[in-house]
Amino acid sequence: MAIIEREKLHELRNAGIDTIPRLFRHRVKVWADNVVMREKDLGLWQEITWAEYGQKARYVAAALLELGLQNGDRVAIISENCPEWLYSDQGILAAGGVTVGIYTTDSAKQVEYVVDNCGAKFYLAEDEEQLDKILEVRERVPSLEKIIVFDMKGLRDFKDDMVISFDDLLEMGQKADEKDPGLYDKHVDSCKAEELAILIYTSGTTGPPKGAMLSHFNIMEAVFVLFEVEPPEDDLIDEILTFLPLCHVAERNVSGFGPLATGTIINFAESMATVPQDIREVSPTFYFAVPRIWEKFYSTMMLRMKDSTSLEKLAFKWALGAGQKVADYRLRGESPPFAINAMFKLGHRFVLNNIKKSIGLDRVRFCLSGAAPISPDLLRFYYSLGIDMREVYGQTESAGVATMHYKNRVKFGTIGENAPNVDIKIAEDGEILMKGPTVFMGYYGNEAKTAETVVDGWLYTGDVGKIDEDGHVIILDRKKDIIITAGGKNITPSEIENQLKFSPYINDSVVIGDQRKYLTALIMIDEENVMEYAQEQRVPFTTFASLTRTKEITKLIEKEVEAVNKNFARVETIKKFRLIDILLTTDDDEITPTGKLKRNFVNEKFKDLIDTMY
Amino acid sequence: MPLLKIRNIESYYGPIMAIKGVSLDIEEGSIVTILGANGAGKTTILKTISGVLEPEKGTIEFQDERIDGISPADIVRRGIVHVPEGREVFDDLTVRENLMMGSYLRKDRLGIKNDVEMVCDYFPILRERTNQLAGYMSGGEQQMLAMARALMARPKLMLLDEPSLGLSPALMNDIFHIVRRINSEQKTTILLVEQNARMALALAQFGYVLDLGRFVMENTCEELKENEDVKEFYLGVKEATVRDTKRWKRKKKWR
Repeated sequence: MAIIEREKLHELRNAGIDTIPRLFRHRVKVWADNVVMREKDLGLWQEITWAEYGQKARYVAAALLELGLQNGDRVAIISENCPEWLYSDQGILAAGGVTVGIYTTDSAKQVEYVVDNCGAKFYLAEDEEQLDKILEVRERVPSLEKIIVFDMKGLRDFKDDMVISFDDLLEMGQKADEKDPGLYDKHVDSCKAEELAILIYTSGTTGPPKGAMLSHFNIMEAVFVLFEVEPPEDDLIDEILTFLPLCHVAERNVSGFGPLATGTIINFAESMATVPQDIREVSPTFYFAVPRIWEKFYSTMMLRMKDSTSLEKLAFKWALGAGQKVADYRLRGESPPFAINAMFKLGHRFVLNNIKKSIGLDRVRFCLSGAAPISPDLLRFYYSLGIDMREVYGQTESAGVATMHYKNRVKFGTIGENAPNVDIKIAEDGEILMKGPTVFMGYYGNEAKTAETVVDGWLYTGDVGKIDEDGHVIILDRKKDIIITAGGKNITPSEIENQLKFSPYINDSVVIGDQRKYLTALIMIDEENVMEYAQEQRVPFTTFASLTRTKEITKLIEKEVEAVNKNFARVETIKKFRLIDILLTTDDDEITPTGKLKRNFVNEKFKDLIDTMY
Repeated sequence: MPLLKIRNIESYYGPIMAIKGVSLDIEEGSIVTILGANGAGKTTILKTISGVLEPEKGTIEFQDERIDGISPADIVRRGIVHVPEGREVFDDLTVRENLMMGSYLRKDRLGIKNDVEMVCDYFPILRERTNQLAGYMSGGEQQMLAMARALMARPKLMLLDEPSLGLSPALMNDIFHIVRRINSEQKTTILLVEQNARMALALAQFGYVLDLGRFVMENTCEELKENEDVKEFYLGVKEATVRDTKRWKRKKKWR
């Protein structure tokens, strides 16, 4: 692999490259023949080069300008991750537009809210399904002028003046570009760093979503900070797999804008369902995922070990034990003694590496978990496998990066140290505040909320925490989630919830107890693993609901809850719990697109069930 | 006490797990239906009950006795008969000979003779065609023959796999009326697997929905008929949309 030159942010700025479109144009020129994306088509990975990426983005820009895009106009994209998403994103930004990502799981009503709230002029839809959502509500969204559809399958006979295909858009763009070749450069050059680049609607667990405004400056800072803390070696081009929604700030940084800094190759997963196979095929060298995914991997591995022979089990236990010892030394900042290290190497070669291979993590240089709290035990487990696992903390309002674990300064149970361009302090009431170039421009059309969130340049994160003696930040909980029991005791539920989630049988949970005498929990069981347990134990059940009602499964979860209770003081223990008896999907309001239970929705929807515990 | 009690069965086709843990009760005298898309595992369940496939895990009890692992012939002897998908009549035998194959395990000559009359009352066409080779009959007639042949074993439980497959709507209607009559007159318990969900739900009292080898829903057929997912995915009831050619389907939720 060729050595590629990756300039630092200040070097780029000195060369006048301080916006995303300028950086993109620069990369397309210099890295032209390098591969930037791979997409699976009929079972084969097809490569896309920077030159092609650049050309498509250029055509999108020219076409949108032709269709009347003005500087600062909002353009919505609603699609699963695909090359067209990224072509469009870069095209929109180059033309001076503002990209607004919408979750594909949103209902027509939610789509209406976002498109109307930001006043989008264009709506780019993945396919028929996403098209139907906007058609249903377009009368109520007066700002909308044109709808563009990536995949026209099933729409051959559909005619509508407002709708064109992505192919037609590219063709239009090509013509416009040929007619006026200087158009693209003119717009790229006129774009300014402080200008609004993208809107990210926060999936907010309360109230309607708010559009967080991020400027080119914000994004450049966020993307480069990660890369400059953790630069890949000169001759390494990272491989990543992308499947988490691009409209989320974390994935947008990692696979949307990150490659502009690093040259990373973006591999698109075929679908959510094929992610496990795709990861094995790609074997990424860098891997960012949300806790949900790390939990899933963990339970997959654990259950696979359960099915193995007793010799294999013994070998795994031994190798993992050695891995844990080595991890403990490393986490203390010491190098492990020769004998222990040798044992780990042996165990790694013959056992752990095979396990890593089976989930496609055998090549990773390091892994990141973010976007939600994760159990420190889980991170330690990955560390013991010999995976350099870190946590990153940030919010949409800080362009995704506020603190992180640095190499060799990893401390689990904390979210790491402030990013080099960020200051962190703790307010009197314990709230974590941050300041830096990644602090966002505000909420779109909501000055009141913006004024509440950013005061004197300090971003109020809504998280409560502290800074330990080594400068590592510890999060206790969301400020509004803190439970004050009837006895007046302050309890941080996420700590308990995270430990519960560590069980392979528990997918997620919500701890309840505000203004109540004791704590209780609603638990969402892991469908796959609990069903497998039921099969093994010959517990008869028919559907998911009937499974949650069996005595045996209640017992199983009770044991898991009791184990977690042991780690907490008496007031912090779960006295009763109930299992959620419907299988929630990301289409449901109770779950965020990244698979977290939303406390407020859950509290409301399962009010009766909760009341049975008091 | 249920007539048939299935607990946690898992069945494989080679390395492919076709049923991933299915439990099911069938009450004596009832009609129970299993709905599901192609490849959901419906036929596999029937084959596992009739002993053609042996479950890898789990138990099947019929009249309080374990029947998993015993031979298909023994299972027939105990009173379960399977009318397979695609009729599977003996083409080179006459109608009469086919019927006799159904009573192969029985010894009571008089009873057999009476039962031939009985099944010919249900399916009068068979009386007309007694000496005709089964292979020369139409699909609908073959379906009737297959059911008649099954009745000749005097089953307590009849497993019916896609009886309406490839039949004209009129013939389908006939078959379903006869199934209902057999159930009420002969007190035969029926487990029905059907692609034609509308018919199946009209006929059965209780239904299960199978998806990828697992039950995702169970309820009385009255309730199932009103369920949003069943309506959209099995009854073809479509929500009104802005375009008239909606091709995509929303995600199934099963609740």
